[in-house]
Amino acid sequence: MKRFLKNVIITIVPVIFLSACVAPTLVTKESEFPGMYIEKPKSLLIMPPINLSTAADAKDYYSTTVEMPVAFQGYYTLPYEITSEVLKQQGVYDSELVYDMPLNKFYEYFGADAVLFTKIKKWDTSYVVVSSSLTVSIDAEIKSTKTSQVLWKYNGTVIVDLSGGNGGGLVGLLASAIVTAINTASADYTTYARQANGRFVGTIPVGPYHPMYLKDQQDKIIQQ
Amino acid sequence: MKLTMLAVFVLTIFVSGCATTEKPMYDYGTYSESFYAMKKDAGAETVGEWKMALENIINESNQEALRVPPGVYANLGYIHLKANNTEKAISYFEQEQQTYPESEIFMSNLIKKSNLQGNDKL
Repeated sequence: MKRFLKNVIITIVPVIFLSACVAPTLVTKESEFPGMYIEKPKSLLIMPPINLSTAADAKDYYSTTVEMPVAFQGYYTLPYEITSEVLKQQGVYDSELVYDMPLNKFYEYFGADAVLFTKIKKWDTSYVVVSSSLTVSIDAEIKSTKTSQVLWKYNGTVIVDLSGGNGGGLVGLLASAIVTAINTASADYTTYARQANGRFVGTIPVGPYHPMYLKDQQDKIIQQ
Repeated sequence: MKLTMLAVFVLTIFVSGCATTEKPMYDYGTYSESFYAMKKDAGAETVGEWKMALENIINESNQEALRVPPGVYANLGYIHLKANNTEKAISYFEQEQQTYPESEIFMSNLIKKSNLQGNDKL
């Protein structure tokens, strides 16, 4: 057991150091997403999230967090509560089904210049004996309804350590196991989903209702 | 004398640093909280709270001289449409369209839908 722990530590420590060494590449919004500045979409249709996580309710809950940050980024966001119901009535239960199809019909019915797809890659809590961590990871993509081309894409991931501070000895371990259980139960995923959104929304070139509209071409973002 | 000049200078920097508080773009009130509550447990109570949240956003935005956020008028219109208040529904859809010209295609589709529903009742 001791030997195992030692091995774990020997492996983990260099990994931490190495990962810290990878410097992020900074690029400008214009060089990364030129299509956004060429097409200048004004209205976005937010599609029902594609849920790849193991949490069945993640789709409904996550969908309530998307409109606001995108509107603050300067876009007209079509009202999700209504558009998602209309899509259901039209038989579109799963956004994955329309992902590869021509998107022009979303302009015809909704007047959307572009469509925002979101994919929930992770929405769960993993337990490792006395510690646990919660992960929310979202892939997001804006596709044009004129050309069906991808105009922008980015990922936002949030990992939260839910284990409370580590006290010493057996009592400390037990205490932190209890804290972990409590923190996990009360963890509100949408709070972290909003943080994950915050990591990608800012990289979208801003829309017409934002004061920096068509002035953010040279803003730097981290290349993914 | 030099010291007072410096003091004035430093103070000026601090004061001017504080003065630039920009107005927020929108006031969404309790939009996402009430939306989430409704998704979690759809019932008369949570739908009522969602409606109240939308009405509050309109009032607050008007008081603060802010543009009503995208979709708020439309969502209220949809609630009225579901409750068969066709006239009210249409007037909210029209307000959404006036506030955001980008919504014109979708709003006119919803208005058409409302008119059909209104005719059904007769």
